[in-house]
Amino acid sequence: MRNNNVSYLVKKGVSSVWKNLVMSFASFSILLVSLLQVSIAVLFILNANIIMGNIEDTNQIAVFVEDIENESQAAHDKKVEHIRDVLNANENLTDVKYISKEEAAQKWSETMSGEASELINMVPGGNPMPETFTARVTDIRNIRFTVSAIKSIEGVEQVNAPYDFANALVNIRNAFSLIIIAMLVVLIIVSIVVISNTIRASVFARRNEITIMKYVGATNGFIKLPFFVEGCFVGMLAGAVSWGLTCFIYSSVFTLFTDNLTLWQMFGFFNLIPLASIRWLLLLANCTAGALLGAVGTMISMNKYLKV
Amino acid sequence: MVDMKNVNVHYSSGVDALVDVDLHINDGEFVFIVGESGAGKSTLMKLMLRELTPSSGRVFVNGRNLSALKGNKVAMFRRTIGVVFQEFRLIQDYTVYENVAFALRVADSSNKTIRQRVPYVLNLVDMGPKAKHKIKELSGGEQQRVAIARALANDPGLLIVDEPTGNLDPKRSYELVGLLKEINRCGTTVVMITHEHNLVRYFGGRIINLDKGTITFDETIGGSDYYEE
Repeated sequence: MRNNNVSYLVKKGVSSVWKNLVMSFASFSILLVSLLQVSIAVLFILNANIIMGNIEDTNQIAVFVEDIENESQAAHDKKVEHIRDVLNANENLTDVKYISKEEAAQKWSETMSGEASELINMVPGGNPMPETFTARVTDIRNIRFTVSAIKSIEGVEQVNAPYDFANALVNIRNAFSLIIIAMLVVLIIVSIVVISNTIRASVFARRNEITIMKYVGATNGFIKLPFFVEGCFVGMLAGAVSWGLTCFIYSSVFTLFTDNLTLWQMFGFFNLIPLASIRWLLLLANCTAGALLGAVGTMISMNKYLKV
Repeated sequence: MVDMKNVNVHYSSGVDALVDVDLHINDGEFVFIVGESGAGKSTLMKLMLRELTPSSGRVFVNGRNLSALKGNKVAMFRRTIGVVFQEFRLIQDYTVYENVAFALRVADSSNKTIRQRVPYVLNLVDMGPKAKHKIKELSGGEQQRVAIARALANDPGLLIVDEPTGNLDPKRSYELVGLLKEINRCGTTVVMITHEHNLVRYFGGRIINLDKGTITFDETIGGSDYYEE
């Protein structure tokens, strides 16, 4: 197709938005509501993932070092070093910390009050606290695999891990992801169906024009292009407005959370994504999604009227 | 130009719209196709426009086997013919100029061609002075002239005209057929579908009569000197 005809069709598509103002407004409104729902749902998912990540980061496993009687100090130190090296090399572990028997006793004493804090010194045979390593699991879904790898390290006596906590979190995250994905899929399908029906009404009102185009020898591409441009244009407008509304709602919610930081910190809400870091990405995503939805809806609606 | 061999059209409703039709129209002819309502005239036109394919038989128009055309080839074929409808089928929001230019744009013509061709065809049908008028500002006769100009825009070899006088008064009807005769004299083949026998008798020429889907008459007759209103 010649450039002059492409630009003619694009202009026709944009001017059709104003010519068919009522139908354009109907498509715009439906797209706006759909995009607003989808973008808020997406922001919710992103933040929820971060919150879940924060909660998961509070997990801690404890690795107890085997205490062998009559073991030389050199052999013991070598064993501890070996465990430290293996733990540090494990990609699913972070914040690996060594706690000596003395430090463990000290910590225990600090948790006791008064004479009870002296109890540890009365145990026959000296300090009974074990030498330990603590670490956090990066991907809590692999906690069992990681713990079993740690157990196989020579010199490790026992590993305590928050399996119940990990299981609960993994289950919650899986269920949450499924629900959100299902919601998104339903929202997108409903949006496309509703939009294609609205645009179908618009196309129906202009079926005479389409029939004329077919009779004078217009290809399907020639006929579709202005409708496609119109759908994209309305979609982009709806995307831009939806972006503005999303930003307003999100910044209000963000302010609410950050104003009550101490309360939300308890629940791991301290790391919400700041609007400034996603504002332009959100605009791009909204406009692109709007244009795509508008275009797909238009294409679905048009095919019926192209069979002349 | 138009060649039909053993053409049958059977609709799913059980109606046999065309039965064993053999038809040949040469380049440069002017043909009236007449018949009562339901005789098969519209079906014949739909076949020539490739809006319909025959249940059996072959249809060739402008050298193309229409049953074999698919997708964009149908669009390309339609650019080689001009079509005029009883109800004009013009785009009401466009001006006279834009309606004619539109047919050229569809055929992917350049802006230069459009600027040259549109005034030419509008002058051919005496609509040049009204080029900037909106369609809704025109009378029925004027709208039909614009429709003819649009049909001629791509310089088609074949012009198919379906009941062009159905919405016109008798005087305008005779003028319009006179215009079509002029166009035919310039070399364009014209196939005009009509049920107005007075017009046919007045102008004369090749007459094809359809009755219940069958060609019952195919003769050339001379015209008369008077017209009946």
